[in-house]
Amino acid sequence: MIPSKQLPFDPSRRSFCSGLASGLGLAGLSPYMHGAQGIPADLGGLHHAPRAKRIVYLFQSGGPSQLDLFDYKPLLNKRNGEELPDSIRRGQRLTGMSGYQASLPLAGSQFEFAQHGQSGAWVSSLLPETAKIADKLCFIRSMHTDAINHDPAVTLFMTGFQTAGRPSAGAWIDFGLGSLNQDLPGFCVLVSKNKGGQPLYARLWGAGFLPASHQGVQLRAGKDPVLYLKDPEGLPPELREQSILALERLHQLELERDGDPALRARIEQGALAHRMQTSVPEVCDLSDEPEETFQLYGEDARDPGSYAANALLARRLLERDVRCIQLFHKGWDQHGSLPNALGLQCRETDRASAALVIDLERRGLLDDTLVVWGGEFGRTNYSQGPLTESNYGRDHHPRCFTVWMAGAGVRPGYTHGATDEFGYNIVSDPVHVHDLNATLLHLMGVDHERLTHKYQGRHFRLTDVHGRVVEELLV
Amino acid sequence: MRRSLPLALILLFPSGAAALTVAEDQEVDFASEIRPLLSDRCFICHGPDQEARESDLRLDIRSGAIADLGGKSAIVPGNPAESVLLARLRHPKARRRMPPPHSKLTLDESEIALLERWILEGAEYEEHWAFRAPVRPQLPEVKDQAWVNDDLDRFVLARLESEGLAPSPPADRQTWLRRVSFDLCGLPPTPDELDDFLGDESPDARERAVDRLLSSKRHGERLASDWLDAARYADSYGYQNDRERRVWPWRDWVVKAFNEGLAWDEFVTWQLAGDLLPEAKREQRLATAFNRLHRQTNEGGSVEEEYRVEYVADRVHTFGTAFLGLTMECARCHDHKYDSITQEEYYGLFAFFDDIDESGLYSHFTSAVPTPTLWLPDVEQERRLLELDQGRAEAQNSHQEALRGIDADFETWTERSAASLAPAEGISFDFDTQTESKVQGRGGNGGQGQLGSGAQLGDGRGGKVLELTGEDNASFAGNGEFSRDDPFTIALWLKTPGYKERAVVFHRSRAWTDAGSRGYQLLIEEGRLSASLIHFWPGNAIRVRALEPLPIDQWVHVAMTYDGSSTARGLELWIDSRRLPVEVIRDRLTRTIHGGGQISLTIGQRFRDRGFTGGQVDDFFIFDKRLSGIEIFQASLPTSTTFRESGDSARAWLATQENARELLREYFERSVSPTLYSSREELLAARRAYSGLVDQIPEIMAMEAMAEPRKAHFLDRGAYTSPRHEVLPGTPTSVLAFPQSAPSDRLGLARWLTDDRNPLFARVSVNRYWQLLFGSGLVATPENFGSQGDTPEYPELLDYLAVEFRDNGWSVKSLLRRLVLSSTYGQSSSATRELLEQDPHNRLLARGPRRQLSAEMIRDNALFVGDLLVEKLGGPPVKPYQPAGLWQEKSGMVYAADQGEGLWRRSLYSFWKRTSPPPSMMIFDASKRDVCVVQRQRTSSPLQALALWNDPQQVEAARGLAQRVLLESGPEASESDRLARLFRWCTSRSARSEELEVLTELLNTARESFSLPEAELDAWLSVGEAVPAPQLDRVELAALAVVANTMLGFDSTLTLR
Repeated sequence: MIPSKQLPFDPSRRSFCSGLASGLGLAGLSPYMHGAQGIPADLGGLHHAPRAKRIVYLFQSGGPSQLDLFDYKPLLNKRNGEELPDSIRRGQRLTGMSGYQASLPLAGSQFEFAQHGQSGAWVSSLLPETAKIADKLCFIRSMHTDAINHDPAVTLFMTGFQTAGRPSAGAWIDFGLGSLNQDLPGFCVLVSKNKGGQPLYARLWGAGFLPASHQGVQLRAGKDPVLYLKDPEGLPPELREQSILALERLHQLELERDGDPALRARIEQGALAHRMQTSVPEVCDLSDEPEETFQLYGEDARDPGSYAANALLARRLLERDVRCIQLFHKGWDQHGSLPNALGLQCRETDRASAALVIDLERRGLLDDTLVVWGGEFGRTNYSQGPLTESNYGRDHHPRCFTVWMAGAGVRPGYTHGATDEFGYNIVSDPVHVHDLNATLLHLMGVDHERLTHKYQGRHFRLTDVHGRVVEELLV
Repeated sequence: MRRSLPLALILLFPSGAAALTVAEDQEVDFASEIRPLLSDRCFICHGPDQEARESDLRLDIRSGAIADLGGKSAIVPGNPAESVLLARLRHPKARRRMPPPHSKLTLDESEIALLERWILEGAEYEEHWAFRAPVRPQLPEVKDQAWVNDDLDRFVLARLESEGLAPSPPADRQTWLRRVSFDLCGLPPTPDELDDFLGDESPDARERAVDRLLSSKRHGERLASDWLDAARYADSYGYQNDRERRVWPWRDWVVKAFNEGLAWDEFVTWQLAGDLLPEAKREQRLATAFNRLHRQTNEGGSVEEEYRVEYVADRVHTFGTAFLGLTMECARCHDHKYDSITQEEYYGLFAFFDDIDESGLYSHFTSAVPTPTLWLPDVEQERRLLELDQGRAEAQNSHQEALRGIDADFETWTERSAASLAPAEGISFDFDTQTESKVQGRGGNGGQGQLGSGAQLGDGRGGKVLELTGEDNASFAGNGEFSRDDPFTIALWLKTPGYKERAVVFHRSRAWTDAGSRGYQLLIEEGRLSASLIHFWPGNAIRVRALEPLPIDQWVHVAMTYDGSSTARGLELWIDSRRLPVEVIRDRLTRTIHGGGQISLTIGQRFRDRGFTGGQVDDFFIFDKRLSGIEIFQASLPTSTTFRESGDSARAWLATQENARELLREYFERSVSPTLYSSREELLAARRAYSGLVDQIPEIMAMEAMAEPRKAHFLDRGAYTSPRHEVLPGTPTSVLAFPQSAPSDRLGLARWLTDDRNPLFARVSVNRYWQLLFGSGLVATPENFGSQGDTPEYPELLDYLAVEFRDNGWSVKSLLRRLVLSSTYGQSSSATRELLEQDPHNRLLARGPRRQLSAEMIRDNALFVGDLLVEKLGGPPVKPYQPAGLWQEKSGMVYAADQGEGLWRRSLYSFWKRTSPPPSMMIFDASKRDVCVVQRQRTSSPLQALALWNDPQQVEAARGLAQRVLLESGPEASESDRLARLFRWCTSRSARSEELEVLTELLNTARESFSLPEAELDAWLSVGEAVPAPQLDRVELAALAVVANTMLGFDSTLTLR
């Protein structure tokens, strides 16, 4: 005899999770419903009281040069042009882009560095606005990662694994915590428009093996911020209204007759879809913002789809209690012509990044909103390609780079970790990608080791089998 | 204790220190600690094999282990002291000690102690059901014989009867026909088909309906659509900028195979190992593209081996998930935590799939199909290919014949004119004169060479020489643009400052791995010269490498000659006019070596490659023929040498050579004989004609085992950088031992898989077909039959179907036929509240299946009822409507929707871009095709409602449906007749009066709304490319289209009941 058992699901798991995941014969519950239903009101988090209710992640895709922005290394200027010593490189694998270069000349930053605020954090002249809010920020100078190419590195940051197939951090959060609001998706994604550079992939905000309803919903610039949100051309709005009402009546009739719970879910989804047709354009319409907003975020914020506009949109979404927002800004991949190209990147993002922090703070949202700024890896201390007086490039560098955080529960005006004089190796307090993710989840009230989902017989989690909450970063 | 630890922590700990620290506190785990021990040391005499069993003791089952064997038992649970097993294991006398000496098996004290602890803890066994081969179970007795339509129903009914449950009544006939039509063909029945069926009162009406569906071409498309998820099929490579790749011929093969009823074991065998079948047919080779459908990268700077290993691993994981229902991933870095699959065994499977000559990177700069490939000529191409290949062979023969017939000519020449020994004419660059960054060439149209990015000339060899830093180069645009058919020679003086692991001397190519090395090149590899012609490295290239090292720190004259034969034999390397003995590294060049953009013959450096750092070069010669040794010697003379001096020098040099006569003969053959000159020209023409055709023949990635298998290695912690000992192909023994008679390759693997004794394959397969029809498998985790997987509610039914499937020749159609004709399948899917509460997931099967249509079905259904579906089998992928900008914002590529029929094909054919899959599919839970997936999520989200209402595809289809209804019903038809028709098209059932009421009201509102002068009728009627029929009343069409649009979002349209 083969043993049989009653239920395929582990009853010790949170029941709403398994219900969602399986949905045998049923449509899954609404991701927008289970937040309200699934979280005990007194807790607010999944495993402990959260410091952050919401998170906005300003992802700078391509690998911003920490050596030209945050990690001040005068030694590199002193030894500009000298070969990277083997004693510093210590066998670090290089990408195939500079790995076969005849020489690896150290390249000092061409940008002025200064210490800012009470905390005296080093920020270069490329980020004047960020520098002004240095005391609100928590810099991690000792981030490190395992990957040296974009695809695996971004995928590692966003999903905790270098290859495709796993849920994104936002999907995990939405899965674990549910939505805070009734009219908008719980996980929104904003991608700066018209940016060249390394590609992005839908899996970076995908749900992997979690129910697809947890995938990030991209809000795009233009008439249709959410796919298929807008009524078709020529269909009068009141007629759409009638059509939706008719559909709801049909579903009610069917529900009365058949009692299929999936019908109830369908009716609710229809109602939410209808509400989104109003709530999403409303949140995306910046016309009710006062002039002062654009002074803060910069004139770019008037241009929908720009980084600045997305930062502003992020604030509007956070105000409406969207729990998780992921921004992506491409173009930080300065293999060559770094001085020019990096300057452009900074001009596009500096003011708006700082504005978002300031704006959240003055609206009282920064207390329970977490802001994270960073890319997938750092850049080398040597020049990729020729090093000239006015020009250099930097290749990918996984061993150290800088990320900053601000807001809920994060220690402001603090710089964590340090690198060696060459800006090549971490000398104190390394923070791995998994550690960062564990810390973010911790701040959201989630124990990264306990937010798991069983798939293919294994209990998966965002941090795989790694990760440590970095207590030093917390207030 | 184990249970108090956080579950995830235990499960996720890799083996090693962390695991050990908790081990002491844990109960001994039978599956991972005891069974392997007993199995390895004891089962040989005390296991399942009755023939071999000693002393009537068996230890593989608990009852055997604790059985009373004359007043004593091997194991007394909870009582180690009484357990004879332990006493015998520790017996002081060697001859009484187990295992016996002749077995050469031992247990050490720690292992015995472990057994002792386990016995103390109760000696519980766990037997994992899925690892035992299914045997045909007894058919259960049932009370209600009349309900049984197929023997499979007995299993269900017997269980229901024992639970005191009654099956649900049969679904009504229209519901059943709709269910079976979608399940087998992915499309609904037409009203006519419904009428025919409802009017058919013959007892075999259902059989005939099923047979009609199974013989429809749509059936293959439906099953293929499911298989593409498992095969992680996509039309793009998947990583990074995710370029298009042409693999759809494989998809078409899948459709065809399903339609032709290819037996399942063959279907699988072909895909795994079609190339290894005896006299493999093209179709069988094509099937193996299955193993190449994983994602591939071209990201600059990626480490080639890292990704190559990743690809092989993906094949292993796909094999595990799709065919074994096992998660191999775990065993990549350490022994499997749950199932007895060791890391060693993982690499045993890995070794099967590590047998092709591939690269970890596809070519960024060319469109080369990653090797190995299969050619897919059309009929005409095939005919011409044969013809031109024959022409090539004939020309080759004539040339060989001519070679044999020139003895007399040679003698005559030797006597009369050998004395002159004219040097070959080529283009040369001596680097002695520099104007700005140019160096002047001589001879032919040599023109100028360009010194790139600061390359310097220095003093040497009595003039100037090129000095290289590894980053700069000298390039010679317009020179040396040889094809693989052109004989050529390139000669130069060079001096290398030291041993070079790798250095580019010269090349004509766009890049190294970023272009698959397309072109030709002379490198120093491991201190030795290496010459190649390459279409795509490594699978389509020729390369020879000198056996002797290149002299260091001295000027040597180096030449590479090539005869245009596309064979390694035609490549020669020379040092100081001496032909070097070489080893052949690759010998298969079948396609062009051109391509990759603007490229020039270049010395000293290549994009993202290791340059000739510190090297020096002088007197660079390019010849458009293959030179003889004598001419190579002449090319080594100073460029100022006159013809006459050159001849004199050559004669003097020849006089010092032992093989002077052979050298003369070679000179004669290569450069003098007019007979050979013309036969060579003919050969060249024939080769060019052939190559010209070959380069047009489409290719597809496929499997082709390397003649000399690559050595696979155990990778420590799964890291490509940590290869350990060599691993031979092998399979997990806990599943089934590898048959001795099977070959040790993928074909053997397929034999092992489809072996009658394999416990998993048949079960996993029928389970997936059950899932296809019932929405959920008998094992609810189709991807995992291991100990962490779901335990089936109906294990005997699963085994019964598995055995039947196998014994009936693995016929998928027969399997599906009986499943859909069963009473179990035919039940109504409505559930009472009690049943819903008792069995929310319908595990007991006391009702029929119910689920939302798949993403493909939702779209296909809309196109079908909207009279838009273009039913055309196969072909390149198509691009239907998609919101603008989705590709562009991610990768800068532009999605250009098709015009015309590409908009309305079945979703199976929609272009699948992995990093930006079609949103209309993803919103409805399609899998992303990044990795093998055998079960889709099922969710409900507001995005689904929005897509149904507003996606132009849906809106256009709704209008098509309204138009169809208006045309079918005619101008005289009543409003309610039209609405009823429309309703039936959508749901396959008649509308109830209250439903009609709702729709009538909506129709009237819509009609009023569109009658208003400001109504935007034109806009509403022109969504999509389809043009409305001109004879129809536009207001009526617009209004009815609103109703149709509403109906396409209706649950009865979307849910398969």
